[in-house]
Amino acid sequence: MAYLKRPLGISAAVLLVLVLGLALVAPLLWQERADAVHPNEILLGPSSAHPVGTDLLGRDILARVLVATRLSVGLALLATAIGVGVGLLLGTAPTLLGRRVGRWITAVINIAVAFPTLLLALFFAVIFGVGAKGAVLAIGFATAPAFARLTQTLAATISGRDFIAAARVAGVGRMRILLRHVLPNIAEPLVVSATMAAGSALLAFASLSFLGLGVQAPGYDWGRLLGEGLAQIYIHPAGALAAGVAVIVAAMAFNLTGEAVARGLVMINPDKPRSALVGKAEPLPGGGLLHVENLRVSYGDVTPVRGVSLTVGAGEAVGIVGESGSGKSLTALAIAQLIESPGRVDADRIEFLGEDLRHGDHRKLLGTSLAMVFQDPMTSLNPTHKVGRQLAEVAREHQGATRRAAWRRAVDRLAAVRIPDAERRARQLPHEFSGGMRQRAMIGMGVMASPRLIIADEPTTALDVTVQRRVLELLADVRAAEGAALLFISHDVTVVGQVCDRVLVMYAGRVVEDLPTASLAGGALHPYTQALVSAVPSMTTDRDRPLAVIPGRPPDPHALPAGCAYAPRCPLATERCLDEDPTLTVHDDGRRVACWHAEAHLEGAAS
Amino acid sequence: MRSLTFEEVTVRFGSRRHGTVAVDRVDLAVPAGQVVGLVGESGSGKSTLARAAVGLVPLTSGRIHPHPRGGGPVQMVFQDPYSALDPRMTIGASIAEVARGRTDVAQFLEMVGLPAERAGVRPGALSGGQRQRVALARALAGRPEVIVADEITSALDVSIQGAVLNMVRDLQRRMGLTMLFISHNLAVVRYVSDIVAVMRQGKIVEYGPVSLLDEPQHEYTRELLDAVPRP
Repeated sequence: MAYLKRPLGISAAVLLVLVLGLALVAPLLWQERADAVHPNEILLGPSSAHPVGTDLLGRDILARVLVATRLSVGLALLATAIGVGVGLLLGTAPTLLGRRVGRWITAVINIAVAFPTLLLALFFAVIFGVGAKGAVLAIGFATAPAFARLTQTLAATISGRDFIAAARVAGVGRMRILLRHVLPNIAEPLVVSATMAAGSALLAFASLSFLGLGVQAPGYDWGRLLGEGLAQIYIHPAGALAAGVAVIVAAMAFNLTGEAVARGLVMINPDKPRSALVGKAEPLPGGGLLHVENLRVSYGDVTPVRGVSLTVGAGEAVGIVGESGSGKSLTALAIAQLIESPGRVDADRIEFLGEDLRHGDHRKLLGTSLAMVFQDPMTSLNPTHKVGRQLAEVAREHQGATRRAAWRRAVDRLAAVRIPDAERRARQLPHEFSGGMRQRAMIGMGVMASPRLIIADEPTTALDVTVQRRVLELLADVRAAEGAALLFISHDVTVVGQVCDRVLVMYAGRVVEDLPTASLAGGALHPYTQALVSAVPSMTTDRDRPLAVIPGRPPDPHALPAGCAYAPRCPLATERCLDEDPTLTVHDDGRRVACWHAEAHLEGAAS
Repeated sequence: MRSLTFEEVTVRFGSRRHGTVAVDRVDLAVPAGQVVGLVGESGSGKSTLARAAVGLVPLTSGRIHPHPRGGGPVQMVFQDPYSALDPRMTIGASIAEVARGRTDVAQFLEMVGLPAERAGVRPGALSGGQRQRVALARALAGRPEVIVADEITSALDVSIQGAVLNMVRDLQRRMGLTMLFISHNLAVVRYVSDIVAVMRQGKIVEYGPVSLLDEPQHEYTRELLDAVPRP
């Protein structure tokens, strides 16, 4: 209920309570006053006795507007209830009745949705006759199709989830699945849209009554009062406006409440930004293409990347491995300047090709010299544009190539990333490519210019082994042909071992070890690296023994331990590890390790 | 325990003329109490075969024993631990729904190494690995004789994968479960399976004891093996 604590939420709630309260008590308090006819007080202007004046029969208009709240709001709610009820029945029917019948119902809903609501309402008003009953049914049935469509779409999304499949496998009946699994999961958006529908119904009802199709005399709602007042608007404007204001206030109460709840639902914790934890600077070996020192990425009071330092030499392939939440992808995104608000990037140095990336605009440099390859190429390619055109755009945007030259380059690059029949493929849309081919097209886009650095963030995680191998080979080839460096992010230490010269192992937002890939098997110094390597089953793993596991879970970024972040899971942890956080220390051979035990190990070897 | 057998199973999506054949006359036997590992690339039809075994996909032709139906002796564990549990239900309620009140929910949670006190939490409070344990507990609560596990470790971090695999193997051996274990990861399949089946374009191209991975006969199996990354 956090959304009710925001200004919009509070005012909407207060307004709604006021309107509903008035609907309940107004007729009890002012009914007599509203109905009292005073032939000698006809069409009076505002006075202390009648704050907004009197009508043709000398009745107090304010009292009548207040009393009309019950009928206006009540009828609107009734109409909404009918609309929501019918909509729910229609919308959930496809889930309940199975595929074949469901398809017919869906078709009916689709046709009904296409009719304009007001036209539908007028049509129903003619069928059901002029009067409150007809109007309620008319507005109710006019609301139903849109609500049915919403319900059906939401239900279809939920029905595709595995937990519904699991319930079906377990033999849970369709009705139970609907009531226990589908409806609770779609309830929130439905409530929001029902609240808003109530606001619209109120307006629609006022319109119908105003037109004489709704409430009939001697009954009266706001629409009718508005109609009556309108005739005298030149002599007596306040009388006409009072009912109008009531309609607006009540409709706003419903709509704002709906909106406040809707906002509450999509709200992503916009915690106030606090000063980022200051990570320790790590010493850094010199030389290279990319220099990053003490990089920190923070979201509010959480700092998922805590002082990462790394260098990538020209033409070098460096891997970053770690579990999910270790900060490896954020590190890559921060380097590519792709962290969006509310994320915050701080660093002592981010230097690429001699340019300081921390300040100013580097679109040109990044567009031509840095290529980024993501895990899911479908989301990084525009689905409505031909693949070739998307590649050509890079050349036109950054190199000012002509349309024809850019296209030729695009086809050439697609061929270079081994897409067969590149000329024809370039004219296809992304969905016509297989997953592996899309990933190759992405790499092709990266090499449209001549990149100095390719950042690949889990580029093969979504791919099959055989496709993965081809993509990895391609990355190696491109690197050799272009002389580009590679920063390769993956959770799989074996994959990194295949393509990289050097590996950075990240844990809880820090680099804990930096070592040559050749040392991964057997030569790792940090116990976390060792555990990561032995946790992956290989084709030679002993089948008769349990797999090595890393006990426990990575630390909660909200509550990091005082000492080494890995200590709670580490078999070697001592008192010192729990109290003091080891710094990443550079050793003679250029390796970096952050572990008290590795140090002892190295010192022991040296002396 | 009983076995799971597929006889001449064909699954076609779409119309006869324009549809695609996802599973093409597959014969496959999962002997009682054994683990058959099914490997193949995405699109090879292995997940369709799994869903057919529990009645989520209708057969175009062929037969499956035991007959696929809801609440039957075959239970399934799904790939994505984030989609496999109802976010609105406590994990205890999810398990109880399948167990239909016949037994103590706590027993199943303990079976997969989760403390019984956690029965009242919702999936949102659990990690991916823990969710996958709950999903397995739910499958076990259906008192299955056969379990179909579809890529159950693919969405997990390598550090968690090991623990889930150990648990699966331990439970399978202790309870003598018959299991169809599907994965695209050959090393994982090799670790848990007694028998390996290789699927490609809807057909089983190679089938035999797990040792066949040392000396594959089919060219496609060799290709798959060559693609496994080696450090």
